[in-house]
Amino acid sequence: MNTSETSQSIHEQIVTLLPRLRRFARNLTRNPHDADDVVQIAVERALTRLDQWRSDARLDSWMFKIVRNAWIDELRSRRRRDQVFLAAEAGENVGADSMASETELMSVQSAMARLPEDQREAVSLVLVEGLPYREAAEVLDVPIGTLTSRLARGREALQALLGTGGEAT
Amino acid sequence: MTISDETLMAYADGELDAAARAAVESAMREDPQIEMRVTAHRTLRRKVQAAYAAELSEAVPERLLRAAGIAAGTPGSKVVNLQDARVAMQRSASRARPRQPQWRTAWTIAASLVAGVGLGFFMWGQTQSPLARNAAGALVARGQLAKALSNQLAAEQSRSSAVQIGLSFRAKSGDYCRTFALSGAVSPSGLACRQGAEWQVQALTQEPGAAGDSGYRTAASAMPAEILKSVEGRIAGEPLDQAGELAARQRGWMPANR
Repeated sequence: MNTSETSQSIHEQIVTLLPRLRRFARNLTRNPHDADDVVQIAVERALTRLDQWRSDARLDSWMFKIVRNAWIDELRSRRRRDQVFLAAEAGENVGADSMASETELMSVQSAMARLPEDQREAVSLVLVEGLPYREAAEVLDVPIGTLTSRLARGREALQALLGTGGEAT
Repeated sequence: MTISDETLMAYADGELDAAARAAVESAMREDPQIEMRVTAHRTLRRKVQAAYAAELSEAVPERLLRAAGIAAGTPGSKVVNLQDARVAMQRSASRARPRQPQWRTAWTIAASLVAGVGLGFFMWGQTQSPLARNAAGALVARGQLAKALSNQLAAEQSRSSAVQIGLSFRAKSGDYCRTFALSGAVSPSGLACRQGAEWQVQALTQEPGAAGDSGYRTAASAMPAEILKSVEGRIAGEPLDQAGELAARQRGWMPANR
């Protein structure tokens, strides 16, 4: 009875996390369809691995990590399927131009799309998702110093792209 | 005193401990340049947050809600609420079919695997089939399934038991009927009614849970549409509550001659 209640509430917590998982996945994949596919796979995986989740750990960090790993797996299998895809992908800012518009909000997104992947991940976890450095480093499987330097570089690049001195909103 | 930009960034992100915070704050007081850099970090943080805030209020696609609910592993462990199941089915009927993932997932593989009920049962029951034909050719429950139908109370069952009882009710004929779901790689569910000393299976489906595509696979909506339909065709009045279930069990599921 008790255990079923606990796992029920984890389902509910995951449902609550879905908007954030999608947002993170979009920042990773830069493609909303891929993002939803990745989230779906991550949720399915998470539910079969609930026993691996330490209840003292944050569920959001754990799920972010599964989302990221699902994306890494997908990229790997795409690479195996066809190299062409990655060659195109290497051109970076896919769709960034179509996203760009005169509004401030859009330009943040397109600036994000231009960041190298490791910086985009760091910015996305810390600034967008609000994870503490320690949690973000764990999601990315890197030492905290690596996280902070990626974050610092990512921020610098964003500042430059957004041309922000300080104000404007 | 020089303070690295990473330290200022960590300050803006609230990552510093009290001592380091105090050092940054005193440096900010002394040097307006440092204060500006901190402000820039904070502004950027706010700006990025604001830019992504709207995504949180977007509607989450059905298939993701379903993934979060349906993979619950075991079928519903609570007494199924018929009304909820009806509502869930109506809702799903009016909804478009959700998009399937393009990638192969364990789930879609499982779904294609269990395309046929016969196949499912064949696989499930090679060693100890939960079903058999009686002398009259009717499909009856046996083994673990029969035992669960006779003894298991929906409110008390463990999520881990191989058979999950859904709802119990009295049919128009006076017989008692119960819905069930079997766990495992292929997990059919069905409806069985008590006939004499046997549980005769009236409906059986491989449909993976949920009255259609209702987002969450709560216990309430865990009944496949096909089973719900056979319940609706038979039920007299409302499903048994916990006390009713217990009383019926004590009576050995013999029809109450009213």
